[in-house]
Amino acid sequence: MAAKEYDVLIVGSGHSGGMAANILAEKGISCLMLNAGPQADFARDRVAKPVYELPYRGFGEPGRHPHIYQATEYNANQWVDEREVPYTYDADKPYNWVRVRLVGGRSLFWARESFRLSDFEFKAADLEGTGDNWPISHADLDPYYTRVEGVFKVAGRKEGWPQFPDGNFVETNYPADSQTIKKVIDLATKRGIGCSKGRSAQGQNGLASSINLLLPGALATGKLDIVPNAIVREITTDKKTGLANGAHFVDRHSRREMHVKARVVVVAAGCLESTRLLLNSGIGNSSGVMGHYLIDQIYGINVVASVPEAMNGKAPQGLMGGSTFMPRFRNLKKTEKRNFIKGYCVRISSGGNANPEYFASYGEELQAKVDSYAGACVSGGIYGERVPRFENHVRINKDVKDAYGIPVLHINAKDSQNELNLAKDAADTIEELFHEAGWPTISRTERFNPPGYSIHELGTCRMGDNPKTSVLNKFCQSHDVKNLFVVDGASFVTCGWQNPTMTILALAMRASEHCAEQMRQRNI
Amino acid sequence: MKRRRFIQSLAAAPAVPLVAQQAAPPAPAPQAAPPGGPFGRTGPADPPLQTVAADLAAQPVAPVFCNAAQFAALKKLGSLLAPPLAGKPGALEAGAPEFLDFLLSVSPAESQKLYRDGLNALNAQAAKQFKVPFAELNATQADAILRPLLSVIPWVEDLPKEPAHRFIAQAQRDFRTATQNSREWAAANANSGRRGRGFGGGIGLYWLPIDPVKG
Repeated sequence: MAAKEYDVLIVGSGHSGGMAANILAEKGISCLMLNAGPQADFARDRVAKPVYELPYRGFGEPGRHPHIYQATEYNANQWVDEREVPYTYDADKPYNWVRVRLVGGRSLFWARESFRLSDFEFKAADLEGTGDNWPISHADLDPYYTRVEGVFKVAGRKEGWPQFPDGNFVETNYPADSQTIKKVIDLATKRGIGCSKGRSAQGQNGLASSINLLLPGALATGKLDIVPNAIVREITTDKKTGLANGAHFVDRHSRREMHVKARVVVVAAGCLESTRLLLNSGIGNSSGVMGHYLIDQIYGINVVASVPEAMNGKAPQGLMGGSTFMPRFRNLKKTEKRNFIKGYCVRISSGGNANPEYFASYGEELQAKVDSYAGACVSGGIYGERVPRFENHVRINKDVKDAYGIPVLHINAKDSQNELNLAKDAADTIEELFHEAGWPTISRTERFNPPGYSIHELGTCRMGDNPKTSVLNKFCQSHDVKNLFVVDGASFVTCGWQNPTMTILALAMRASEHCAEQMRQRNI
Repeated sequence: MKRRRFIQSLAAAPAVPLVAQQAAPPAPAPQAAPPGGPFGRTGPADPPLQTVAADLAAQPVAPVFCNAAQFAALKKLGSLLAPPLAGKPGALEAGAPEFLDFLLSVSPAESQKLYRDGLNALNAQAAKQFKVPFAELNATQADAILRPLLSVIPWVEDLPKEPAHRFIAQAQRDFRTATQNSREWAAANANSGRRGRGFGGGIGLYWLPIDPVKG
């Protein structure tokens, strides 16, 4: 049987692959989407179980997901098992690579926090005098953000702050702030720190995924085929032109080797899997930059204080509860001199409990302490920005192969003093706010999770105008291979403190429309 | 399109290869469903048979990881760290020592060493200070050994580095989880009309293996 020929091959089915399929198929371009894993059926594949009936009583199978802190015994089967698809790192540089290979990818499970990057991130080098700018600004991406926010139904409160660009928000009624949250807002405002609310994609039926918001539209055109369990091992190229002409893949169940032809290849396998595929294919890296400038976000810091009037269950109604969100407030001016560049956002929550591990105690005495703090705690944590650095990189480890015989990634990422200084500033700031409010500290740490934990790995195929210092142009198109696009988070130049999903979607939409136009003009 | 319908539409794609279709025998004529009963065939329309959980029918074999002296110390430690409080079962009532003994038997070597060394050290210290095994200490004596080993842990990944402190911190965490995630804890919550926090006696949606690779 003759294989079908497609205009575009899309590798990956998460938010970015789904957006590419949606845009291209609706323009009448035939697409094949290959996805490395199976399709989940939320009704068939999930069952309600009490925790005591799980084989390991909620602890999970020992050693199964050593790098996925988000894994529980309930969700253990949704993640990629690193025994099947391993990766390596130096012992002193642990990296938490958290992957999902189901159709829809990580878009099935994301937290739906929906922020735009601002020009404090797009043009960071202008502000900081170091690093690199993106080749685009917020104004370039603004119309795409607006369309994406409409599709994903983003709820948020408009503020008019340049570091926290407003968007196309659906109206939301936020509950009245509790007295403790009002106090935090008052004290923060006096310090020039703006307090807002989180911004979240409402999607449909609680899901804001490619499988319910993007792929159905593409399938309805009749121009998209999706093949699950297709693990792409290599993008193939025409020996005469050097252009991409398809891909080799292996069927996950049968291990049968297959090849598909396409006029254009769009890689959307999720930042590091995309880079792994390109490095294994040996294409698109004349700059030598591919794999470098790996970034993600700091998740961590924990400052917990108690509200005296709320101790021992005596909180009057309206005192405790709720939260506030402080978008980046550090390093917004060139004149601001600190021992770190970039910034972070703060989340303050009211009405929580104290972790028993905050007390050197046990048994009945410990329980009495924990009970006295029940509902009486306020806490603060951050999402912070890491600095893009050339030495934080991934490369192929030819000595280790996955279950399909594909060489794995070696990841080399380590935090610098900038991240440590930023974290200390955050912990100091939160604790100072609590002390000004009259709330004594119960616990404080400047610690944050290792690289990768945020599940926001970005960079490694960064975009730029100069082919000697970047992998992609400003349309996520390879400088070297004109019919090759990388539309996931690999193109990021800086990561910001913001959840990157809205930016990935906007970039994928913009890149896909550019791709379609280039195809129409027969440039590719 | 609703998510469920979308998934169904994807699942409706032809799954049988052409060769297999050509080789398939003619479809048999419709027949009456086979009778039920002890020798009847079950099918998708039949309700699943009722089963019971193993722990309702049997007792776990324990210890499988610890020796007798270590297991006695483990039970004593559980009774101290997680005693029954406010109508909730303690570690012993929740079968936590037996469960942790099993869990340790399938855990990485690092975890096994932490517990084995930690339990041995408790017994050694009890013998040194009070001339009896840890399991035979009274509350005051046990407190004299335990209290110097307690730690404050501001960050979940920062268990103490010193092995004895680390063992006690890990054991506190494990006994708490094993107790609160027990059938007995859930029953106590149900009797008081409460659901536990998090998974504490609660119910969650468990992802089955999704289209697993065979062999």
